[in-house]
Order: sequence, then structure tokens, then C-alpha cells
Amino acid sequence: MPELTRRKFLLLSAKLAALTGLGSTAIPKIAEALDQLAAGAAPVIWLQGQSCSGCSVSLLNSDQPDPVTILTSYISLRFHSTLSTATGDVSMKVLNDSIDKGDYFLAVEGSIPAGMPEACVIGNEKLTEQVIRAAKNAKAVLAVGTCATSGGIPAAENNPTGAVGVTEYLKKQGISKPVISIPGCPAHPDWLVGTLVHVLKFGIPELDAMGRPKMFFGRLIHDQCQRFADYERENFAKTFSEDGCLFKLGCLGPITYSDCSSRLWNSGTNYCIKAGAPCIGCTSPDFASKQSFPFYRKSEQSKDREAKA
Amino acid sequence: MAVKVNIDPITRIEGHLAVSIEVEDQKIINAHSKGEMFRGFEAILRGRDPLDAQQITQRICGVCPVSHGIASILAQDEAYGITPPENGRLVRNLILGANYIQSHIIHFYHLSALDFVDIAAITQYQGKDPGLMELKAWVENQIASKVLYPAAPFLPRYEGRYVEDTELNILAIRHYLDGLEMRALSQKMAAVFAGKLPHVPTLVPGGVTEKVTAHKIAAYGSMLKKLQQFIDHKYLPDVAGVAAAFPEYFKIGKGCGNYLAYGVFPESDDGSKNYLPGGVLIDGKLTDFSKEKIAEDVKHSFYKSDSGLKPADGSTEPNPGKSGAYSWLKAPRYDGKVVEVGPLSRILVSYVKGDNPDVKKLVDGLLAKLNATPEHLFSTLGRHAARAIECKLVADRCSEWITRLTPDKPAFRDFKIPKDAAGAGLTEAPRGALGHWIEVKDHKIENYQCVVPTTWNCSPRDDQANPGPVEQALVGTPISDTKNPIEATRVVRSFDPCIACAVH
Repeated sequence: MPELTRRKFLLLSAKLAALTGLGSTAIPKIAEALDQLAAGAAPVIWLQGQSCSGCSVSLLNSDQPDPVTILTSYISLRFHSTLSTATGDVSMKVLNDSIDKGDYFLAVEGSIPAGMPEACVIGNEKLTEQVIRAAKNAKAVLAVGTCATSGGIPAAENNPTGAVGVTEYLKKQGISKPVISIPGCPAHPDWLVGTLVHVLKFGIPELDAMGRPKMFFGRLIHDQCQRFADYERENFAKTFSEDGCLFKLGCLGPITYSDCSSRLWNSGTNYCIKAGAPCIGCTSPDFASKQSFPFYRKSEQSKDREAKA
Repeated sequence: MAVKVNIDPITRIEGHLAVSIEVEDQKIINAHSKGEMFRGFEAILRGRDPLDAQQITQRICGVCPVSHGIASILAQDEAYGITPPENGRLVRNLILGANYIQSHIIHFYHLSALDFVDIAAITQYQGKDPGLMELKAWVENQIASKVLYPAAPFLPRYEGRYVEDTELNILAIRHYLDGLEMRALSQKMAAVFAGKLPHVPTLVPGGVTEKVTAHKIAAYGSMLKKLQQFIDHKYLPDVAGVAAAFPEYFKIGKGCGNYLAYGVFPESDDGSKNYLPGGVLIDGKLTDFSKEKIAEDVKHSFYKSDSGLKPADGSTEPNPGKSGAYSWLKAPRYDGKVVEVGPLSRILVSYVKGDNPDVKKLVDGLLAKLNATPEHLFSTLGRHAARAIECKLVADRCSEWITRLTPDKPAFRDFKIPKDAAGAGLTEAPRGALGHWIEVKDHKIENYQCVVPTTWNCSPRDDQANPGPVEQALVGTPISDTKNPIEATRVVRSFDPCIACAVH
């Protein structure tokens, strides 16, 4: 395993500080965080905001490494609402003691109800306050899934809770912490585990302008799509379950950054476009946000047919 | 004097639930169930393209997205006047069946078992199983080290009585590890036809987008076989083992004693017959289920909408500061009655109907093994037993459905979205009866309402102040130590609550 030198750490930290808009004063702190995390199983606190737990379920679908290896070899999962044996007061004591001690990595799944703090409460504390408390003492923050990275469906048009992603929320609250964004609805277990392991063992991976690891989100789905040749030949599917490129059904593969088309899902079994379903752009920051931008173009067909009739 | 205890958060469930109990003479005399997270899916859906619904509503819940997808496309099938071809119906059943298996396995081993099984027993392990030896070494190292909270997330925990038989503990811990692999395998199996899990892209009105091929049938079948072996030789015996160690839980946590099932897994293309039938058991009497008898009260919920509305006319306007409210869940009632939903309701309805010999055989067999009677099913352990039995029934039925698929025949029938339409999609999630109601106006969603399993089970009091099923089930539960109210959490978890679903 290649050793990560102090110098390299500092370089990475500088890069991260630049990417996340932090000043150079943050650099030694980030380097220290990375040093400690690289030393062994890193404490992780996992908070669920306005979430469906889908990213947690997806994490459990990781097969190499499997969940037990992740829990026993890479991280020390202090608090996770779905997995902790501790409950009630016992679980809150673990959470609070862990926050007070610091030196952990904070994972946030789900959005933050910035406009209606009562819409998410854990252990009699509003999440809007808890996440600030937890982020302040964290070494770094991992935003897991599109709800956490940019608000996702809870933040879509017409939403009643003023939901936002954790990156935006912390920034507005004046908390400067490095935030790594792992979008996806849900996040692919490889994206999550791959990022986590990279941070723990080799430092922060190369990130794009939105804080996403380039190794997973650097290319368009379209570029490696199995149906790319159909697109080139203008062989388009006219309805669901047809052969051909799904572009005219509304497929967002051409504007969505992720490696789904080469990585596939559920241990290489399948994924949306391969299974005949147009990409709905679930890793994009504006996923599902606008009513005027529906997932499919099927309704247009229905309206056209009506107009012709 | 009653002691008030707030169990907040209830972990090892899906989502944000708190339960407050009042304990007097070592017994719960009153309970309140509080859902603590709200997103507003119904408001978000309004004005959107109707076809967004099956994708958006799946994001209500990452544990049972398939059920929301199915409810939504059933509602749309009805609204658009289409029925899927046989392949489409069967593939939907196979995707849903696979997700039942994953959900029931994760519920027993990873959410509930640690209330009964002594995880610390791993330190007494003397055998040669490499996985267990590794886990033992890890726990010992953690305890010897100076880390804050060693062996997290498995420790700490409520103190109380756990299984005392080391062999049973070790076996259950081994199966906790195997169960993690098995639940991932059932998601992989679903993905053969689902595209991916969680959140399935292939479910559409008219059927599914994925095609049926001989290879996919074989792939699904080979994974199913491994899951059936796990269910038969590990899951069912482990539930029996826990039941034998805690027989008192056949008498704890009964609750309202009324049971509702909509029915699930259509066996005919017109959807008229379900493998697990619908029905209502009120005061022990079985009647047919009618969706017209569902209404939702909101007097004690954080909404300013009118109370007592039927789902098709439902409204969800938040009011977080509402006086007298204590939960984000509404309080659905059937014909004004408090009813429980879930695997126990489905199994009881099917058992009483008596039209499925497999159900009767499995239920009677397990009860005989445990020296229990059918009345014992109305309990904490009854819910676990019914869930395990259902897991076997569904897995075995999936192995029949795959033989009925016809490769290269369509699994999708094309459709047109009318300008104005309405439909209801009634199905069953692993946690119980699930309904979606859609109204389309001018090609857009005019109204969308979901009544979800945990909305029934974890509901707050209704307008008449009747407590919800979990609130009722907690009353009478013995609590030996109010600092470690493990008995209460056993009762709550037996319902397999999902709060992201319940509030949406």
C-alpha cells in the first residue's frame, strides 16, 4: 500500500481548502484530520435528516468490502439510527459524548429542513441545531446522497419545509468544514465506500467544483452507455421497453455525471438504462427540482396524439 | 405515581420515532407515539407530470421503495385504463417479492434480534468459524483498547435479560452476519428485473421496462434458491429459538386486536385475485375490505387540513406549532376503528379465509412447535412469527412465478395518459397495507395522497381520542427498569415501523 506522506497530505489539503472555498488557515487542520483518519478505524457519526434511509440500505449492499468488514476494519460507527444497538437515552449519550470528544467524520444522509426546523427532530433536538453541533467538532463532513448534497426531492418545487442540502446549510450557518459530496438517489455503495476508504487511507480524492469525487462523477453516463451506438445511428425507442436509445423518452444520460453505465448497480447486475428505463439524472444537483422538467417525455406524446385526433 | 419515560430516538427502525410511556407498578399505563420527520411529498407531487409519481413516491422510503412504486403504477394503471400483460404482472410480483424477502430478513436480524440476542456472547465463542473468530477478536481488541464506546455500533445497549443459551446466541450472531449477505442478495435478485435497488427504475404503468429472457429467469432462480435455504434453515428456526427463550412475549403487545389487509401479489391479469388476500378482521369477524371506509383524522397531528377526510379528497397542510398535536403522522381509521396492518394482519386474514392450505400448514406447524395456540399470534412474537412465515410463503411463490414467465414475450403494454383521470393503487408493503390515490387534471397531478402502513400502526390518537395500534400495544407491557425500558422497544419494533413512509 503506498504511503501517504505529510507533504502529499498538505498538498491535498490545500487543494481541498481551495475547492471548498476555505482559506489557507484551514490547511493544517484538514491535514491533521487526514492524518488521524489514516491511522486506523475512524469514528463516524451518521445523522439522518429528511431521508428515506435509501442511502443506508445502499451502503449495506456493498459487497467488496462487505458491511461487516467496513464496520470492523475501516470505521467505528458510533451512531447510526438504523444500525445502533443503543436506543433512547443510551444512544443520545453515545452521540453527545462522541460529539464532545471530536475527531470524527460526520456523514449526513437526507436534507435539512431549514425553513421548518420542527420537521426533523432527533432525541428532542432539532436536526437544524444538531447538525451544526455535530459539524463543528467533525474533522470533515460527508454529504451522502442527493438530498444531502443539494436537497434532492424534499427540496423540489412546492416543498413545504424549505429543505436544503447540508453543504448549503453549513455554508449559510458560517461553518467552514470540508464537505465531500456523494450524490445519487440513492448513492451507489461503491461511491460511498470508495470515497470513505480513499479518505481514510490515501487522503481526500480529487474533487470537482461541487465537491464530488472525480473518479466517480467525472464522466457523463451517456459516454459509456450500452445504447450509445443506437444514439449515433439515430435508432430511438418510441416507448418503454423498446430497443434503441432512450433519449426521446427523456433519458438524462447525456447531461448526467456518474459512472452508472460502466459500474452498474447491485454488484454489477443491472442499471436503469440497461433495464430499459431512461436515466432520471439522480446524481445531478437539480434532480427532480422543477415541475416543468419531468422525468419522461411520454405525456408529450399523449398530448400530441390528442391534438392530432 | 407514574414515571414518565421518553424513548427518543427509537433506533433500529426506519426513521424518526419517539415513544413516551408512563410506567406505574412496573407496567405501562399510557403511551404516545410521535413521528418526528416531515417532507411533504403530497405537496411536491401536485402540479407534476403524472409519470413522475412512481419515481418520486419510491423516494418516500428506501427500505420498501418497490411497494410505493407498485402502488403508484397500480393507481396509474387504473387511471389510464390499462392492464399489464402476464409477464408484466409476474415481473412486478417478482420484484416486490424479492423486496419482501430483504425487508423481512433485515427486520428480524438487523433491527429486532439485538433486543433478544446477547451480542456480547461472541466473547465466549470457542469454535473455529473464521467469521466468528474474527468478530470475537475485533470485539476483544475494541474492549481492551481505550476507544470511546468500544464495539460500536453493537454496544452499548439497554441492560436487561437477553438469551442465556450461548449456543443460540452464537448461532444468531452467525446468522446476523449471513443475513447481511442474504439481504444484499435479495436486492441483487430484484435488480435482475428492477434495474437497481433501492429505488427501482423499471416500474411503469402498463408493466415493466425490463425484458424477460431465459437467462434472467435462471439468474433470478439461482439466487432465490439460496434465499429459500436461508429462510427455511436459519430464519424460521431462529424465530422459533427466540420465541422459546421469551415465551412471555406471546402475551405481551397485543394491541387493538383489529386487523386490515388490502391484499397483494395479483394472481390474475385483471387483479381480481391476490396470492395474499385482502380482508378486515374486527372483533374476530372477517369481512371484505372496502376502500371507501378509510378516513384520516388529524386532530393530534401537525396539520391544519380538515380532519376525517377520505384519501381521494385528502389534504396535507402542515402546521408544526398546532396545539394538542404531537405527531407528524395522521391517524387513519377503518370505518372509524383502530386497525393494525402488516404481515400478521395478512397471515391472519388468509388463515381465517382458509383458502390457502400453505398458510394453514405453516401457521399450525410453527404454533405446534412452540406449544402455542392461534390466540398467541395476537402478540409481539406473533408478529415476528407471521413475518417469518410470510417470508417463506412469498419466496416459495416467487419460485412458482418464475416458471410462468415467457421469454421474449412483452412485459409492457403501451398507454396514453388521458387529460383528466383518477385512480387508486392498493397493495401491501412488507410493513402492511399501502394505498396511493392519484387525480390527474389537464395532464398534471391535481392531487396525490398516500396512506402508508406505519401511518396506521404508529398513528397518534384519533379525533375521538382512541390511541393508535402501537400506543395500545404498549399499554400493559411490564417494565422492570425504567432506565432500561427494553420491553417497550421489543413491542414497538415488532411492528417494523417506518417513519419516512408513515409521514412522507
